Amino acid sequence: MTTAEGVMGFQGIAINVWLIWMLPFIGAALMPALRRNKPNLLNYTAVGFSLASAILAATLIPLALTDSEVHSQINWISALNLDAGILADPLAIIMTNVVAWISFLIFVYSVGYLHGERDLTRYWFFMLFFIGSMQLIVLSDNLLMLFFGWEGVGLASYALIGFWYYDKKKDYVGRERHMALGIPMWASPTHAGMKAFLMTKAGDIMMLAGMFLIFIYAGTFGFKELVADQSWAIEMSSQNLLVPAAILLFGGAVGKSAQLPLNEWLLEAMTGPTSVSALIHAATMVKAGVFLVGRIGPLFFALAAFDMAQFFEVIAWVGAITAFLLATQALVNPEIKKVLAYSTGSQIGYMMMALGIAGLSTQFVDGYTAGFFQLISHALFKASLFMGAGALLHAVGSRFLTDMGGVRKHMKKTYIFMLLAGLSLAGAPLVTSGFWSKDSIFAATLESGYTYAIPLFAIAVIVAIMTAFYTFRMLGMAFFGDPSKHLKEMDAKGHHVHEVSKVMWVPFGILAGATIAIGLIGIPFEEELHNVFAAYLDTSFGIPEEGSTQGEVMTGQQGPGGDESEEEREVEGRFEINYAAVAASVIAFGVGGGLGYLFYIARKLNPEIISKSIVTRAIWKFLYNRWYLNSILYWGTVIIPMLIYRIIWRYFESTIIDGINPAFQFSMSSFSKIVKAGQTGITQTYLFVFGVGIMILVMLLLI
Amino acid sequence: MVAIFLPVLLSPVAFILGRKKGIQLVTWFSFGVLAISTCFLMAPILSNGNDNPVYEESYSWSQFGNFGLRLDGLSIPFAIIINILCTVLALYSKPYMLHKIQEDADAQFGGHPSDHGNRPTSSGSGFEHIASSSSSSSSSSPSTQTDIESTSQMTTLVEKESYVRTQTGLYFALYLTFSMGMLGTVLATNLIEFYVFFELMLVPAFLMVAFYGYGAKRRIALMFLFWTHVGAVILLLGLLAMGFFAGGFDYVTVKENASKIPVEWMSLIIFSLVIGLGVKLAAFGLHIWLPYAHSEAPTPISALLSPAMIGIGAYGLLRLWMDLLTGDYTQYSIYINIWGLITMIYGGAMALMQDDIKRVLAYSSISQMGYILFGLGSESVLGISGATLIYVSHGLGKALLFMMAGSIILQTGTRSMSQLGGLAGKMPYTAVLAMIGGLTIIGIPPTSGFMSEWITFNGALQSGIEHAETIRVVVFALGLVATLLTAGYILWMYKRVFFGKIPERLIHVKDSNRYITATMAFLAAMTLIVGVYPDMFLVPITGYITNMFSSTPEVLPLPTADGSGAGNGDGGVEGVTNVTSSSSTQPSQVADAISAYAELHSVILSENPNRLNVYQQSLLYYYDPNLAGNRGIDNSVGEDAGTGAEAKGGSA
Repeated sequence: MTTAEGVMGFQGIAINVWLIWMLPFIGAALMPALRRNKPNLLNYTAVGFSLASAILAATLIPLALTDSEVHSQINWISALNLDAGILADPLAIIMTNVVAWISFLIFVYSVGYLHGERDLTRYWFFMLFFIGSMQLIVLSDNLLMLFFGWEGVGLASYALIGFWYYDKKKDYVGRERHMALGIPMWASPTHAGMKAFLMTKAGDIMMLAGMFLIFIYAGTFGFKELVADQSWAIEMSSQNLLVPAAILLFGGAVGKSAQLPLNEWLLEAMTGPTSVSALIHAATMVKAGVFLVGRIGPLFFALAAFDMAQFFEVIAWVGAITAFLLATQALVNPEIKKVLAYSTGSQIGYMMMALGIAGLSTQFVDGYTAGFFQLISHALFKASLFMGAGALLHAVGSRFLTDMGGVRKHMKKTYIFMLLAGLSLAGAPLVTSGFWSKDSIFAATLESGYTYAIPLFAIAVIVAIMTAFYTFRMLGMAFFGDPSKHLKEMDAKGHHVHEVSKVMWVPFGILAGATIAIGLIGIPFEEELHNVFAAYLDTSFGIPEEGSTQGEVMTGQQGPGGDESEEEREVEGRFEINYAAVAASVIAFGVGGGLGYLFYIARKLNPEIISKSIVTRAIWKFLYNRWYLNSILYWGTVIIPMLIYRIIWRYFESTIIDGINPAFQFSMSSFSKIVKAGQTGITQTYLFVFGVGIMILVMLLLI
Repeated sequence: MVAIFLPVLLSPVAFILGRKKGIQLVTWFSFGVLAISTCFLMAPILSNGNDNPVYEESYSWSQFGNFGLRLDGLSIPFAIIINILCTVLALYSKPYMLHKIQEDADAQFGGHPSDHGNRPTSSGSGFEHIASSSSSSSSSSPSTQTDIESTSQMTTLVEKESYVRTQTGLYFALYLTFSMGMLGTVLATNLIEFYVFFELMLVPAFLMVAFYGYGAKRRIALMFLFWTHVGAVILLLGLLAMGFFAGGFDYVTVKENASKIPVEWMSLIIFSLVIGLGVKLAAFGLHIWLPYAHSEAPTPISALLSPAMIGIGAYGLLRLWMDLLTGDYTQYSIYINIWGLITMIYGGAMALMQDDIKRVLAYSSISQMGYILFGLGSESVLGISGATLIYVSHGLGKALLFMMAGSIILQTGTRSMSQLGGLAGKMPYTAVLAMIGGLTIIGIPPTSGFMSEWITFNGALQSGIEHAETIRVVVFALGLVATLLTAGYILWMYKRVFFGKIPERLIHVKDSNRYITATMAFLAAMTLIVGVYPDMFLVPITGYITNMFSSTPEVLPLPTADGSGAGNGDGGVEGVTNVTSSSSTQPSQVADAISAYAELHSVILSENPNRLNVYQQSLLYYYDPNLAGNRGIDNSVGEDAGTGAEAKGGSA
């Protein structure tokens, strides 16, 4: 570490880091106080706070480039001896800048998008809360504090997905009366918010369990402390608990990043305002999961003495399968925001796969860089696409692609920027950041030497083909062809489709430009990123670049052979282009994009052909019903448990337990009746009973 | 002393004030009395510093021993929460009880809502009020002669006015007694004294449900009285047995002589304590009184009954059982743990089935008491401290939610969720504050709910892992899943009340007045503060509980960072490693293991530097002693670990 700073409290540059996440919270707290003022004041304050946070984040960039870090702690829970602290290392600095700047642009866009909305106070409160929580995740130096931010983004997403809580039909998502296995596939905003909250919470409890396991053995949550003293890991692995703990932690990331078992919430999350979707998908929330893996991945890799391969295998396969699953579903969906949502899940799958591959190869940094490169480029183009989609919705007034068509003539700027960002998503060769990041994932997979690298690679290429296809489908349906019936009706009523205001198109224009700019300098950019991460992993975790896992020899303990690897690194002068991977990316773009072009832009082929064959129709239906996963989820976790509770309520609680009181009462009153029956008040009866009793006694005595 | 007896001594004054001067004065009077009492309570805590505050007063009493009051690490959180809630709810009572009593008066004397001048709320929209069916409603027959009508109206008005005043006075008198009973229970230092206070809090609660409740209030109040009283009597048997065998009823005497209690009696005593207090806690099987009592009590009283009063059962278990009779705790803890889990899930599941807001909250209380039991049975300092902190956070959170229910009853006149909806825009303050309360119950940071829950669950897992008991780990996992259930019923309730379309008759609803929102805001602020900075409660609790179990090695101390030698002071220093100490991972061995591994790895890489299969195999060899032996690798760590696990299996 060149200039590591370990500070107590708020000194020097550490104050900047603290403020990065505190400022949005302060801004959020101000919002209710300003609620009676003009909307513009609210807007400016919110945007101002996010800009301030972003500028502070930018001041840290030099630190990242020189591989130094800021670590500052204050006392927190003294009863358990826990400290709160921030840790700005290169990883956190890169992430915090991505988050801060993209959210700033989204904030600017929101000013236009939510013009005239009556609940601005609530909107801005939760938006600021959202990025504050995300920055807290990124910058905190321990798992517990990270979890505060973690639940904070969950809460903010719940509030923002259900932002339009009055549940009007136009805010719903999904086609009405679309059922699959008896489960409605359309959802109201509040329903969607609840679903998102509960499903991510299901991930969170796994993460909590993982955190607890580590805390029990380590007695600390701090990342630095966990690396510095690894006796906890030795004990845990001796009881076979290390891998489960790591996988449980990953469970949290699965929930937040909408990976396979917990992916269903992401689609309903489209009920929020589009700016919120952009924020969730580009800068916060789903990226939190990837970041978590980026945070803990090197830590566990550095503990490789305890065979963490299973952990990384789980990550890689979950990522790959999710990427495939969601890409297939994106092929058939008719709603523009949902197509983008599927695409996000799929792209996040790529990132997870890259991070998993990193741990399975000897060259950790390759996969790691690929994963984060993909994260950055995805953040840029997906934010741009979502904001563009928001502009479309604004102009067209419908969320369905089938209600659009031929819009490019009326919304030139939106068209151009969405096209650029879309090309990046599709991975158009050589000029887009999406191409280079995808390529780096392919290369990392091919070079990893992992036993099942080839199947993973195959999945990745297939997903890339589908990505290019659905991107072109989306763009084609929205911007090309003839205007739809809906648009014609609108025209007839005098509502003409027109370009959105400047405050809206400038932000996504900037992002679309950025994605192309990074694409043009793709190779140098990746190399720089590679160098930063290589240095970071080496100094912080002792993972030397040239593969070997002497990484577990920690700061201070130089293992044998450390010098060798350093030499090797210089000799090889790493970083070269893998031509097989490049070829695969180009072919994938060509095939997918070409098909998409023929079907939806040139309209040479008619997509209706799938309805002609039973097989293709069945496949279409299967995909359209989301592989029936949503229905299975509802049956398994909502309907059947509720039925069981209903039965318990009806036949146990209301009958047996509640019956205790009347039963007691009844038995008492019947007892009194029996006793009463004896008290006849007739002397003869008493005498008779008395006599009989005496006789029995006498007979007993005589016998 | 003053803290306790000020309220009870002044309660007749409250009654008189209420009769003579009306509700405004008596509310502030009660508030003042309770606030002073709270200040007296806080004074010794603050003056003693934070470390291990103990404040004690003792007076010689009768043959039962001394009558003492003691504030220590265990009673501080309970006492403070009880007093804060009582103080805050006194203010909250004003608009609510005025409304409720006037409603009763209307039912009793006839007449129309518009009759009384000083209606506190804006709910003049004439909604159908909740039917208080048991009250006799005499409808004055319309008379044709106007003068007779007007005079009869006059008399009714006067009667009604005096009725309202008497009732409010009575309410606050009972209220003060009730608060004193609860506070006394947690401060008592004598078994008999404990019992006396325990019953003393029951009687006013019974009367308040009977006088001011809803529905079949007398019947429900009786049911409440019977259940809890029977529980208390069972408890009394246990207490008497404890006292007789130990030769005195003072806590000190009992604690010293706990070993004198014959073994065969011990289990009986514990059984009676657990059952007696279990009724109060409304644990599964003994809970049926709670949904009735809590949903039909007047709302400020529900807000006190639910979080403050029933939790005293947990205090009783902690103090009477775990503190005084420490020895046998570990034998039964697992059953408590499981019972807690069942209560937790059952309460949550039943809460999902309700339509009445207050009944949802009542079942939610049952579920939360399950959390507390779960933590108490966790057999680790962490878990037990967490359970105590759950009392604090549940106190704040559930009180907030009940206050929300009260606010909704006041404004809309109904508490059936099927008739509510979309209120978030109409009652923004209530909605926001209730959300904070809901998050506290769910356990989302930065509310105190999260702080308490993670500590509890961490403790439960700790004992599961370190005692190597599968059943505890399973219970822990199910417990975590039950938190999802909690989130489910809270959010669903919230959705049905505050989201969606507004029913037409609620379009003109307004938010409640300041007495309600300000008191709610105070509690919401408290829960946020405790959630971010829990030290003020957590330090005394963990300190006391660590001491409590310092002689019981089965109860696991707090985990600490090994080697860092951070000064946690007493008890917990050795941390985790001392439990698994048989594996004795000293630093040198750690270093050995690491260098051995590095050596192995460089060997493997030099043989075939190519890749991962070999790399993975190497790890395999590393763990298989035989293979590792073949390669000439020191496998000391692996063996050690094996023996460690065996040793632990043996000890468990």
